[in-house]
Amino acid sequence: MKDATAGAPPNGAGGRWARPLPAPADVWAVFLQARKRDPHVHVGDVHAPDSEMALVLAKENYARRDPCVSLWVVRAAEIYATTADAAGMFEPATDKSYRFGGSYRQQQRVYRGAWRLSHREEDQ
Amino acid sequence: MMPSEPGDPEQVAAFNARIAAGDQIEAGEWMPEEYRFEAVRLINMHANSEIMGALPEREWIPRAPTLARKMALTAKVQDEVGHGMLLYRVAETLGRSRDEMITELVEGRARFHNVFHYPAETWADVAIIQVFVDGAAMQTQGALRSCSYAPYSRVLKRICYEEDFHIQLGLDVWRALAEGTPRQRAMLQNALNRWWTPILHFFGMPDRVSPHTEKMLAWRLKVKSNEELRQQFLRRFVPIILEYGLEVPDPALRWVEEEQRYVYTEPDWEELKRVGRNGGPKSAERLALRQRFHQQHAWVREAVGRWAQGGPARAAVA
Repeated sequence: MKDATAGAPPNGAGGRWARPLPAPADVWAVFLQARKRDPHVHVGDVHAPDSEMALVLAKENYARRDPCVSLWVVRAAEIYATTADAAGMFEPATDKSYRFGGSYRQQQRVYRGAWRLSHREEDQ
Repeated sequence: MMPSEPGDPEQVAAFNARIAAGDQIEAGEWMPEEYRFEAVRLINMHANSEIMGALPEREWIPRAPTLARKMALTAKVQDEVGHGMLLYRVAETLGRSRDEMITELVEGRARFHNVFHYPAETWADVAIIQVFVDGAAMQTQGALRSCSYAPYSRVLKRICYEEDFHIQLGLDVWRALAEGTPRQRAMLQNALNRWWTPILHFFGMPDRVSPHTEKMLAWRLKVKSNEELRQQFLRRFVPIILEYGLEVPDPALRWVEEEQRYVYTEPDWEELKRVGRNGGPKSAERLALRQRFHQQHAWVREAVGRWAQGGPARAAVA
């Protein structure tokens, strides 16, 4: 398997494009889901010798006030991140306006016009 | 121990430019050793203060006047210890271990905020701590939310959110006493008198214009000057004292309209220096308490570790 922490970023810039997050072995990253259907969001870390204890401490530290329906914990040292130097690879290389619904104005104008025609006030 | 390695000038320049452009530094990214040193010093001191700050109020949990107050105060103390946990973790991302920092603290080799070296003599002290000490902390920490070290600014958002609850709770305790019997009002005024100087001290001495301060401001490890924060605090909290018909313990305090600032009697800065070196009225006692509990609970840390290894503790239960 290719090591993501070595080599050049996909956009061709020099330097490392990925790195492990520095963390002692007993640190667990905590992800909290506030409501069902919400994503799990990283809210902080805890120190714990195993996953069971990490979940207990995560509950005490991150779920004692605000809503929470589910917690995830994962060893923080297992997380890999893209580097600040590689942020450029997220910049769109070409015009990506075609990926946004808001780019299709003409169709919207036609639709709104048609809606007004078919909903005349005197008909209400 | 000052860092000696200045780093590659080009790398340092790029780092400074990033911060000047408003960017934030993430855990594990390259930083000048001096930046790391200052950031750790700031965050470690903040973490220590949260842990030690829980102690004066903790003394009042068994003596809180009602069950509702007892529950709220317990929640507040729990928040403060939680803040300590968050902050030690942030300091760890800069290369110190939590064990090392806690050991330094309990052995009296580390510093924590001046206000937590003073006694909490009466229930009214709890109101003062919750309103004015947390209020003072809120000015400093609120400003630092825009600091350059991203992990610190993230936990400060959560900390300030919880501090707001502490201030609201404190204002309610304050209101109950201020609207109470003459004895309750006298108790509140007395507590305010005793806390006034430590609270003015809290923001530190008026900054000298020095290369160090300039650097801290440029690196956004300091966002506003000590005096700016003190004035901000006075603007928000002096009206609360006057609104309830209490007296500001400084007869010389007055608002200067043209300068848009409060003039106050200069507190004794030597006291701040002495207290900061763990020479306050309660420093030794609180550090001894922290150390005693740290030792008393060593078996819990050990048991949890053995449980995780599936050692004898787990075998006995399973």
